[in-house]
Amino acid sequence: MKKKGWLPILFVCLLAFINFSFLTNSNEKLIKNFTLKSVDNKKVSLNDYKDAKGFVVVFICNKCPMAKLYSERLNKINEKYKTQKVYLLAINSMDTLAYAEESFKLMQKKANKDKFNFPYLQDKKQVVAKQFNATHTPQAFIIWKHKESNKFSIKYEGTIDDNAAEPEKATKHYLTSAIDDMLQNKPVAKPKTDSFGCRIFFRGEKQNMY
Amino acid sequence: MKKSIITIIFLGISSLLEAQYNDIRIPEALYGTTFDLDIHESLKQIKSGTQTITGSINNETFWGPTLFINKGDNVSFNVTNNLNESTTVHWHGMHLPAVMDGGPHQIIPVGTLWHPYWKMTNDAGTYWYHPHLHETTEAQITKGVGGLIIVKDDVESALPLPRNYGVDDIPIIMTSRNFDASNQFSVGRAYGDYMLTNGTINGQITLPKQVVRIRFLNAEIERGYNLGIVNSAGVTKTFYVIANDGGLLNAPVAVTRLPVHVGERYEILVDLSGETSTLDIKAYNSGQSNSFPGGEPIPPNFQIGQIGQNVQFTSALNNTTFNVLHINVGAVTSAPITSIPTTLATNTYFTAADALISRTVTISGGQPAGNPFVFDNNVFNINTINKTITVDKTEIWTIANTPNAVFGHSFHIHDVQFKIVSRKLGTAAATGPANYESGWKDTFFISKGESVSFVCRFKDYADATHPFMYHCHFSQHEDDGMMGQFVVTGTPLGNTNYTPSTKFKLYPNPVDTKLFINLEDPLADIYYITITTLEGRVAMMLPQPQWQNGIDVSNLSTGVYVLKMMDKATKSITSKKFIKK
Repeated sequence: MKKKGWLPILFVCLLAFINFSFLTNSNEKLIKNFTLKSVDNKKVSLNDYKDAKGFVVVFICNKCPMAKLYSERLNKINEKYKTQKVYLLAINSMDTLAYAEESFKLMQKKANKDKFNFPYLQDKKQVVAKQFNATHTPQAFIIWKHKESNKFSIKYEGTIDDNAAEPEKATKHYLTSAIDDMLQNKPVAKPKTDSFGCRIFFRGEKQNMY
Repeated sequence: MKKSIITIIFLGISSLLEAQYNDIRIPEALYGTTFDLDIHESLKQIKSGTQTITGSINNETFWGPTLFINKGDNVSFNVTNNLNESTTVHWHGMHLPAVMDGGPHQIIPVGTLWHPYWKMTNDAGTYWYHPHLHETTEAQITKGVGGLIIVKDDVESALPLPRNYGVDDIPIIMTSRNFDASNQFSVGRAYGDYMLTNGTINGQITLPKQVVRIRFLNAEIERGYNLGIVNSAGVTKTFYVIANDGGLLNAPVAVTRLPVHVGERYEILVDLSGETSTLDIKAYNSGQSNSFPGGEPIPPNFQIGQIGQNVQFTSALNNTTFNVLHINVGAVTSAPITSIPTTLATNTYFTAADALISRTVTISGGQPAGNPFVFDNNVFNINTINKTITVDKTEIWTIANTPNAVFGHSFHIHDVQFKIVSRKLGTAAATGPANYESGWKDTFFISKGESVSFVCRFKDYADATHPFMYHCHFSQHEDDGMMGQFVVTGTPLGNTNYTPSTKFKLYPNPVDTKLFINLEDPLADIYYITITTLEGRVAMMLPQPQWQNGIDVSNLSTGVYVLKMMDKATKSITSKKFIKK
């Protein structure tokens, strides 16, 4: 049962790797379009953003103390970069069966309370988290659009900055530096950083959830 | 090579430069008979730089509140798991029903309230609570989930002992941690590079110039602490062990060194009345035998924070002397304790001759390095009961770390306090325990090549369903399966052939605060109640609930729930839905 559930995903990843690996210069992971429901009940797809150069995809959730610390910073990042056609999407991939706090209703409440100026999307089937290999919240990704295809490749993955609790003490703003690099057509100086927070448990996998 | 030596020297110097002391936290004290424990994640400034994610209980950010409980009281606990993963809470050292014990079987899912209760029968002493979820214990203890339980009784209260918590009666919880580049705890190495005293690096405290009591708990993953106290003039202080894991000794035992291993508690008295400057409690861990945990040498190229197979059993604190607590001597309090009492409790200990049943547990495995250690050649299997014990019979257990021993271990058994009756190392003649460990114990260190025998009695709580555990308290060893389980059985009271009806009604329904259960059969009783949402998310776990007075469901949010009732006689489950208003 467990293995069966994984096979199609592995297969898709394999296909993606075979078909599109020539588009990338390195081992950058490819992301295909996804559609998720936003807290305003609208469906949101990467393909909806016709003019997008790329996206900042941040896995967050309602309950995690670490993810909670970044609401204001995410609003600022979106405010700054959406004018440059880099859009922020926040995704909640937590298992709603395991966590009462991660329900869609409470997502709406959080988005309202924290005045999110970006879509807060529910990844109810946890497929987008698996596509990104997201492991915990908050975890940020920058994906950049290929000119020739509908695919995106991951240009950055990791932490937002180097101080979760005290934003004013953060000295390294890894995520925004990486966006700036991309916008200036430069290779991202630090494409991968360590990030930490609350683990995303995937339903049906061996884990300590039940 | 040269560069790394310079790095090590530099790190050494910089750690000296960093040796300003930080005040340690005395965990909040909770009193009463009902304790609400909310386990969750939060942040703590442990190192300079980014704060560290910790496992927290209530308002404490690393290591939970201290629970003060009177012997003889009926105590209950509302444990809510607000972590983002399952956990358990084990009451280490307590005599209690197995279903309340919080071992690997009593899993508390996320968002669930667990409500254990029992009558406190343990003697006055220092006990503790900590997670015990199989294969996850190391990770959750590393985060700092846990706390002390201080039991009070008439015997202890009548003695002239310091007991002003945080003033002259000080809890010292010893552990060490590793941090990654983001200042987060890293799991995997047996020993930490940073000593944390009550969660503080370079901890200090000001103690009054009189006799003070210190309650040591080794809450480590694996390291032992060979404790000693030295004053700023370099004079080694004599101090007095007054209690072991299970309570007071018959008389104080004077020592200058005290080995405290994982899971063990020792209460000591030290007389600061002649002190004029500062003192330090240190771990004199250099030059220990090769099976002393934390005695392994530091490899030449080792760097702080390094991870990997070749550094799994080392740390910056290995095989060295390091500070546990810096003590500033302050003003005398009113009504100070000024002398060390000559006698304490009157314990009647078991002897080997009392034992009717003898059992042996042999330690093996660990070879080649990295392979799990096991008991009796078997890795722990949660579905296997290793030992069946008859209630109220005195037993002698011999734990043998022979013949192919690799390392030392910290052996712990649930439910009982035992008396060590013999220690035998290699071919040497057997001896009794050291004077400082001559009291009631629930955990002891067994070195390589040693056999240790203890006598105990499994009293009161026969339950053929729920097992207790015995295990190595090194959490990596435990997580890898160095654990066994036993049930305590006895003759059930009443007619054993009678199978009661398990039908019941719930009222009122819909319910606002208290849900009552009406069992159709007056001879039926309830063993366990679980309340889940319709989707199956567990909301409440109530072992052997006191259901006659109704079940408080006021904390449930509005919705439809399923009450699953497991009856005592047949252990079968009958379910009923109810609506919470």
